Amino acid sequence: MAIVSDTVLEIALNLLGFVVGIALGIFSYIGFKNTGSPTLFRLNISFFSIGIGFGVVGFGYMIELFVLGYGQIDGWIQTLGIGIQTVGYFFIAFSHGIKSFFPKSRYFKSIVFPLFIIPGNALEHIIRSISFILLVYGTIETIMSYMESRKRSTIFVAAGLGLLALGEFLGWYSVVFPKSILYLVSLSTKIIGLGALFVPISQVPLRGGMKFGGSV
Amino acid sequence: MAAVYRTHMSIIGDILSTTRDEAPDEAGASVTYLIRKANVSYGRLAKILETLVQQGLLEQTTSERACKYRISSRGREFLQAYRGFREFADSFGLRI
Repeated sequence: MAIVSDTVLEIALNLLGFVVGIALGIFSYIGFKNTGSPTLFRLNISFFSIGIGFGVVGFGYMIELFVLGYGQIDGWIQTLGIGIQTVGYFFIAFSHGIKSFFPKSRYFKSIVFPLFIIPGNALEHIIRSISFILLVYGTIETIMSYMESRKRSTIFVAAGLGLLALGEFLGWYSVVFPKSILYLVSLSTKIIGLGALFVPISQVPLRGGMKFGGSV
Repeated sequence: MAAVYRTHMSIIGDILSTTRDEAPDEAGASVTYLIRKANVSYGRLAKILETLVQQGLLEQTTSERACKYRISSRGREFLQAYRGFREFADSFGLRI
């Protein structure tokens, strides 16, 4: 019974992540349609991927538990969902990479792959490690931008990305304590982090209906 | 102070802002004026102006001596949207 209630909570949190991610994705898409900006296009892909990643886990668990009636949830659903989220984190980090490297030399001067330890060979843990590194990179770049601009919303975004990174780390660490509350804490941390990314949206006056195409 | 890199989009934003807020008269801003205010070369400015006129964001007016450009109502809407989403991207430490 406790396992079912834990899974239901996981489903609820994942579906919340799905809604938040898709909402951010739609907002970025409106921005891309209005301005044709490649940065907003990358953010659009990023947030849709993050939202869909949460959705795959949430809906996957829901189907297995309530439709197929499985007692045990398949591990590949979690791996697939986290993999899709990682694509989203990659695009956030990639946008920062373009901003930081291209303007100076037009080419990447160097790409440094940080060393990290992977516990075992599990695909899920490899993906989580990559997500963590991408998110830490995004957080550091955003903090550096905050140092320059001192915009209050930037610090919320940095905190959001930082919480997503912490959530990934806790999720990865939960392998040490399987079936513990650590995974739920990880999931909640990620949802709060995603929520913090909403702050900049509140500052944009949405009028809607404008279409200028991407050729500007 | 390090030079600030401007994206294609931010140059468009600067051109539209100049035609809206700093146009010297009602007929609009001349190419020379835009080159100085938006800080962009003639070759690049000419291409951008052509696109902006085609997209209906700028209106081309012909005065006695030179071609001038003024912002259209569609251009004003675009500029407002651009500024809003620039704030959004800025919050992520990114440039649109």
